[in-house]
Amino acid sequence: MPEFEKLHQAVLDGDQKAARSLTEAMLAEGVAPLDMITKAMVPAMDEVGRRFECEEYFVPELLLSARAMKASMELLRPLLTASGAQPAGRVVIGTVKGDLHDIGKNLVASMLEGGGFEVVDLGADVAPEKFIEAVKQSGAQIVALSALLTVTMPSMRTTIDALNQAGIRNQVKVMVGGAPVTSQFATEIGADGYSENASAAVQLARKLMAGSQA
Amino acid sequence: MTGRERILAALDGKPAGSLPLMPITMMFAGDFAGVRYFDYATRAEVLAEAQLRTAERFGFDYVSAISDPARETADLGGAVEWFDNQPPAIIESRALLHDKSTLGRLSLPSPEAPGRMKDRVEAIRILKREAGNDLLVEGWIEGPCALGADLRGLNSLMLDFTDDEDFVRALVDFAIETEIGFARAQVEAGADLIGIGDAAASLIGPRLYREFILPGEQRLTSAIRAMGARSRLHICGNTRRIIGDMARAGAGMIDLDYFTPLAEARAACGPAQPLAGNIDPVRTLRDGTPETVTEALEHCWEESGPLYIVAAGCEIARGTPYENVEAMARFARDHAAA
Ligand code: B12
Repeated sequence: MPEFEKLHQAVLDGDQKAARSLTEAMLAEGVAPLDMITKAMVPAMDEVGRRFECEEYFVPELLLSARAMKASMELLRPLLTASGAQPAGRVVIGTVKGDLHDIGKNLVASMLEGGGFEVVDLGADVAPEKFIEAVKQSGAQIVALSALLTVTMPSMRTTIDALNQAGIRNQVKVMVGGAPVTSQFATEIGADGYSENASAAVQLARKLMAGSQA
Repeated sequence: MTGRERILAALDGKPAGSLPLMPITMMFAGDFAGVRYFDYATRAEVLAEAQLRTAERFGFDYVSAISDPARETADLGGAVEWFDNQPPAIIESRALLHDKSTLGRLSLPSPEAPGRMKDRVEAIRILKREAGNDLLVEGWIEGPCALGADLRGLNSLMLDFTDDEDFVRALVDFAIETEIGFARAQVEAGADLIGIGDAAASLIGPRLYREFILPGEQRLTSAIRAMGARSRLHICGNTRRIIGDMARAGAGMIDLDYFTPLAEARAACGPAQPLAGNIDPVRTLRDGTPETVTEALEHCWEESGPLYIVAAGCEIARGTPYENVEAMARFARDHAAA
């Protein structure tokens, strides 16, 4: 279907104007919002992630694509909510305390949104109490933690410990990531999952959701 | 041969005795000297003392006034968050150029006016006075992409490259003017070499780097050369896709992070370019042993061939065991620069 392809291309090109106007046009024609997400947005962001991995795309291209996707999502999200469609899951995400690196975290947040998740983004340098508060308020099933500094990796552990102490650790799955983080470290600190990049993060979140319902 | 002579000889492609040793230290030096990093970053005499003691203890060939990326931004009026024992950080959500039109109203900061830039110039003066005959004295400035990101906010700058090319060009121009002034003040105070830190440039890919950033870096290195000083281009992060272009920046030495194999850098830069680097500062240097450090350096040296300068990919991390740093120093001493 050429329209889906055009929307796919607009996201891939990071063209937010085209993404928005194509979305509007498709909605006017009666295309289902969920179809646009699954047939255009998700595959486009997957491709963006793939190009980033093989160094065809760099951070500017990634952020442009994420912005184009958001422009389209802004039109679709209210319709999805109104139609009663359930999000794939609800995620609270943030970069841990002491750490100001947020580009990777922003990408993971965008990809999760593109993957149909509802995302509460707490920003960077987020204290454990903030995560707890946000989980309680939003009823999120997943907490996603990002860290780019070796010195702030321990903040991931502190945050998980704080979730435990607040008695809500078993209500949520915790996923972690960021350049210095490894799956071994994730296991050590009692996280439920680790992924190396933003597109794998979406797969991981889906897996965790499936696990949490089982 | 003194450390200073060794580095200068190596940069000129002349016999340098043993391999020059130039690893970056900031928090490691502050911790070694037992000072709070807040003081290290704000008091020239504290930084200078810590650098001198660290260089003496570990046998480095140089001392440096590098401390954090926020000196220029702070003097320009940008919001900075301070920590007790960690480098200050620029607050991106309150970026000085959040509104792009502010750029037109910014005037160039003066390294002579009281402020954080002046404090660095003062540190250079002390380092030159205390050790300038024996050790090379390094000044430090932000590169055009880094300062652009500091002022505008990295996330916004990444989109500006596509949304508003004219703004990016004006921002790079402003950054270059600022940094030429800052470099000059440091050279006049006694710096032999100016390090240019341009970390954000590792994120943008070859097309944008070539078009917007490389020309700025070229202007900086040639201005520094005209001042009679050398330059060190340090771009943290993965530079494999831009190393071929970095080779044309005109830097006296290119200092590589651990992502880029030195063999690739050597192939891209040719036999006449001094290269520094690039063992993994965390996995190898901090978490390894003297044996793994030595082994990793063997590998670097082999890949680089002549005109090799011993260093880690980035700053020696806080908490790095002293014996691992000693292993680095031993490696440099024990190997004759070809
Ligand atoms: C940009 C940058 C900065 C910017 C950050 C601006 C911003 N808004 O983010 C600024 C200039 C502020 C900065 C400051 C510092 N930085 Co910095 N920075 C970088 C740099 C160059 C790029 C990071 C980046 O954005 N990468 C691109 C993104 C897309 O990749 P990513 O974050 O890894 O994310 C991907 C995955 O990891 C994963 N992921 C990320 N988060 C999550 C979360 C989950 C849940 C999952 C599943 C996956 C996931 O998905 C992402 C997409 O695929 C790196 C070097 C490098 N190239 O890696 C250094 C680097 C991270 N910084 C470093 C350092 C040391 C610092 C400073 C301490 C420097 C100093 N001395 O002042 C300060 C610290 C400030 C602070 N308190 O946080 C070191 C860290 C070393 C270490 N291991 O500890 C690095 C590695 C540079 C180096 N070689 O030494 N930095």
